[in-house]
Amino acid sequence: MKNRLKVLRAERNWSQQDLADALGVSRQSVNAIETGKYDPSLPLAFTFSDVFGMPIEEIFLRAKD
Amino acid sequence: MTIPQTASEGRGPLLYIVLFVLSAAIVSALRLTDAINPGTAYLLFIASMGFMALSVRAMVRKGSPSRASKAIRRYSKGMLATSLGYVLGLGAAITLDQRFDIAGPLAFVIALLPVIPIFGMIYVMGRYLVEEQDEYLRHRATIASLVGLACVLGFGSFWGFLEGFELVPHAPGWWAVPVWAVGMGLAQAWMSFTDRAEPEADGDA
Repeated sequence: MKNRLKVLRAERNWSQQDLADALGVSRQSVNAIETGKYDPSLPLAFTFSDVFGMPIEEIFLRAKD
Repeated sequence: MTIPQTASEGRGPLLYIVLFVLSAAIVSALRLTDAINPGTAYLLFIASMGFMALSVRAMVRKGSPSRASKAIRRYSKGMLATSLGYVLGLGAAITLDQRFDIAGPLAFVIALLPVIPIFGMIYVMGRYLVEEQDEYLRHRATIASLVGLACVLGFGSFWGFLEGFELVPHAPGWWAVPVWAVGMGLAQAWMSFTDRAEPEADGDA
């Protein structure tokens, strides 16, 4: 699964730690998800959606998209 | 035992964990090759556990007040306590067995000395997996425990066949726990290394 986390962070001038604090997870988690090493659960994906204020499908994309 | 990593941990805890795993592996190798006697191996293993205590202290100093790090701190302290109990129980059981003619129910009770802390380790690990709110850290802990289990099954089976062909000396079954711990430690160290190696993480680490 692909994602736009790096771009979305850059737009907000957030570091991975800033995003991790907003999500209530570790920086390793943000890094692993951002780099595609780990796919988040649906509840965590909804938390991403809440933090960025946009639908999940605008943050996470299927690999073929 | 191994300790999962949090974002707020620096190199301190990881360094001590790696030192513990390496020293435990070296002591194990020396003992299995009969380079050192059981008493020396026991004392060296207890000394190597000092690295574990240092890692927990470094982790508590650097830990954030998040729920995830609370779970890790409880896990670390629990593993440290049960590991010390295991080493002390193992030493007591071996010493009593070697110096006294113990048999029957008393032997059963003495054999429980190192086993009860092992049950404690399993409980601590299970409680961590339940309490950890960070799903990626929980995923890492699960992977590490599976790698530890794979090491026990793989090395145990291989050693058993080597023993059957009289190529290696007999290894007592209690080596399963150190092998499990070393496997978990190596897995956590590898995952920490690959996490740090990600280019995207450089600017934020």
